[in-house]
Amino acid sequence: MTNVLTGILTNSLQAVFAMLIFPGGLFVLALGLFLKGVDRKVLARLQRRVGPPLYQPVLDILKLATKETLIPDTANEGAFQLAPVLGLTGMLVTAALLPIGGVWNGVTGLGDLLILLYLLPIPAMGLMLAGGSSSSPYGALGFSREMCMMFAYEMPLIASFLAVAVRVGGAGGSGGSLLSLPAIMDYQYLHGPLLFDPVMLPAALALLLFIPGTMGSGLFDIPEAEPEVIEGPLLEYSGPLLAAFHLMSAVKLVVVLELAVALFFPNPLVATGDGGVMVNLLWHICKCLVLLMVSVTCFRAATGRLRLDQGFSFFVKYTSPLALASLGLAFLLR
Amino acid sequence: MPSTTYTLPIGPLHVALEEPMYFDIQVEGETVRSVELSAGHVHRGMEALAMQRNYFQNVTLVERVCSLCSNSHPATYCMAVENLSGLIVPERARYLRVIADEVKRIASHLFNVGIMAHLTGFDSLFMHAMEVREIMQDAKEGVYGNRMNLGQCIIGGCRRDIDDSTAPFLLGQLELLKPQLHELYGVFERDPLIRTRTQGIGLLSHAEARRHAVVGPVARASGVAYDLRRKAPYAVYPDLDFEVQTDTKGDVHSRALLRLREAVESVKIVEQCLRQMPGGPINTREVPVIPPGEAVARSEAPRGEVFYYVRSDGTDTPQRLKWRVPTYMNWEALQVMLANCQVADIALIVNSIDPCISCTER
Repeated sequence: MTNVLTGILTNSLQAVFAMLIFPGGLFVLALGLFLKGVDRKVLARLQRRVGPPLYQPVLDILKLATKETLIPDTANEGAFQLAPVLGLTGMLVTAALLPIGGVWNGVTGLGDLLILLYLLPIPAMGLMLAGGSSSSPYGALGFSREMCMMFAYEMPLIASFLAVAVRVGGAGGSGGSLLSLPAIMDYQYLHGPLLFDPVMLPAALALLLFIPGTMGSGLFDIPEAEPEVIEGPLLEYSGPLLAAFHLMSAVKLVVVLELAVALFFPNPLVATGDGGVMVNLLWHICKCLVLLMVSVTCFRAATGRLRLDQGFSFFVKYTSPLALASLGLAFLLR
Repeated sequence: MPSTTYTLPIGPLHVALEEPMYFDIQVEGETVRSVELSAGHVHRGMEALAMQRNYFQNVTLVERVCSLCSNSHPATYCMAVENLSGLIVPERARYLRVIADEVKRIASHLFNVGIMAHLTGFDSLFMHAMEVREIMQDAKEGVYGNRMNLGQCIIGGCRRDIDDSTAPFLLGQLELLKPQLHELYGVFERDPLIRTRTQGIGLLSHAEARRHAVVGPVARASGVAYDLRRKAPYAVYPDLDFEVQTDTKGDVHSRALLRLREAVESVKIVEQCLRQMPGGPINTREVPVIPPGEAVARSEAPRGEVFYYVRSDGTDTPQRLKWRVPTYMNWEALQVMLANCQVADIALIVNSIDPCISCTER
C-alpha cells in the first residue's frame, strides 16, 4: 500500500517537475525564445540584413507583458481571453510529455502518440477561437484559413505517426503497432535512427513539410498572412494576451521540432552519467537547431506564400502521399 | 440569419497598401464579389496651393507631389510653362531631363516589382530587388546629391549638369545594374512561386483596357501599345533608339515583367543620352515672360501619362494649374481586375497598377 502511494507521489512530483521546470515549463520557454531568435537572426543574414539581436523575442515578450490589454467591444470577452491561455497551456503540457533521447524518458505512461495527436492541434484551436471571438472580419478569415490548413496538415501527421508505429511494432515481431514514444526511441537505440531507414524516408520528408505547415512559415504562412489578412486571428490582440500567443508559438516550435527528433533521430551522443546528460542535451538542442534551419528558416527564406487553395492542395498532393507511402511500405514489410 | 457575404474593409490604413485608400469589399468565403473604391483620405490641396505661389516656386511644389515620379511632375510642369511662354530649351538640357526621367523610372519600376514579391510573402526576393534598386539610389545621390527628389528641372532647362566626373560614375552604376537586372528578370519570369501566385490573376483584357482608357504599363501589358515617348514624342525621345514594351496577357505577372523590361530599355536610353549629349548651356539663364493664355504638356511617367494644364493671366502666379496623373486613369479598372478574385490576391492586384495615391490626391 505504502509502495503504491509512494509510486503515485513520485510520479506526480515527476509530472509537476516536468510541467514547470524541465523539459516543459521554464526550459521549453527559454529554448523556444532562443530558437525564435536564431530563426530571425539567420533569416536576416540570409536576406543580407543585420537582423535583431538573439534576445529580441524576449524583449518583445517583456514589452508586451507591460502593455495594456485592449478587448474590442464587440468581441466575446471570455473566449477572447481564454484563447491564448488555452493555446499556451496546451503546448506547455505537450512539451512536458516529450522524451529527450539520453536525457529524459518522459512521464511514465504518458508519452503516447495518440495523446500527442490530441494535444498538437490545441494551438490551432486557440487561434481559431481567437479569430472567431474577436469579431473582426480578418479574424474570421484567419479562423477559416487556420481550419483549412489544419485539415490539410493533420493528414500527413497522422499517416507518418502510424507509419512509425507500424514499422517499430512490426520489427518487434508481434506484427502489431507500437504507439509509445519511449518504446519507439528504444527501438531506434537498438536498430539505428528511423531517419536512415529507407522505408521511413518519405514519412520523414512529410514531417519535414508538416513543420512549416503547422508553424505557418514559408509557403504556408496563410492563416496569419500579414499583407492579406493582417495577421488574421492575432489582429485584435495586444499586451499580455498577445505575449501569450507569441510564447505559444515559441513553445509550439520546440514541440514540433522535438517530436520530429524523437520520432526519427532520438539517438544520444554519449552514455548517460558523468555529465553525459548535459552533452546529450546540447546534442539534442543542436539537432533541433539543424531541423529549424532546414524546415523553417531556409524554407522561409527561399519561398513565399501560397494561396489558401494552393496550400491545401500542396498537402493533399505531395505531403500526404509521402507519408502514406511510408505507411504502406511499413505495413507490407512488417 | 445566415449571411453569405460580408464586408471586408481594406484601408484606409492597411499594411498591404503603401498609401491611404479605401476599398469596401464584399466577400463570400474567400472570393471577392464586389468592390467600391473611395478616395480622398490624403487630399493636400496642392492645386490651390499652386495658385498662391509664383511659377518658380511651383517647380519645387510639384516635385513634392509624389516621391517615386518626382522628376516627371516638375519636368512636365516646366514643359507646360515653356509651351506657354514660348521658351526654347537648350538641347543639352533636354537630354539631361530624359536622363533624370529614366533614372527615376528604373528605380520606380524596381520598387514596384519588389513590393510585389513582398506581397507574395517572398521577402528574400523583395530584399534582393531593393538591393538592386539601391544601385540606382546611389547613382541618384552621386549625380544629383539626393536619393529621391532630384531637383533637376527648372523653367528653361536643368539645374545641374552631368560632367566628366559624374558621367563615368553614372555609366559605371548602369554597368553594375545591367547583369543584376537581367538576373532579377529571370527570377521573376521563372520562379515557381511568383508564377503560381501572379499568373492569371487581375486580368484586364484588351477591350476592357481600352474602355477604361488605362495608361502606362497597365495598358501596355494588356496589348495597348500606348507610350507617350513614341505616341507624342517630347524632349529628345525621337532621336533615341528604344522599344516600347508590350504584352498581351494582361495579368499581374505580365505587368511586373513588363516593368522590368522597361527598366532594361531605360538603361539603354540613359546610355545613349550620355553618348549623344551635345555640349552647350544647360538652361536659358533668363527669366521668361509668361504671357496670358493657357498651355498643356504631357509626358510618360513611370506609371503612365501625366498631363499638366496651366492658365496664366499675365501675373507671376498661375491662374490655374491642374494635373492629371496615371493612377487616376488606372484605378477604376481595378473594379474589373478585382472581380471574383480571391482575398489573398487583392493586395497583389492593387499593387499591379502601381497605385500612387499621393499623386492622385494631391
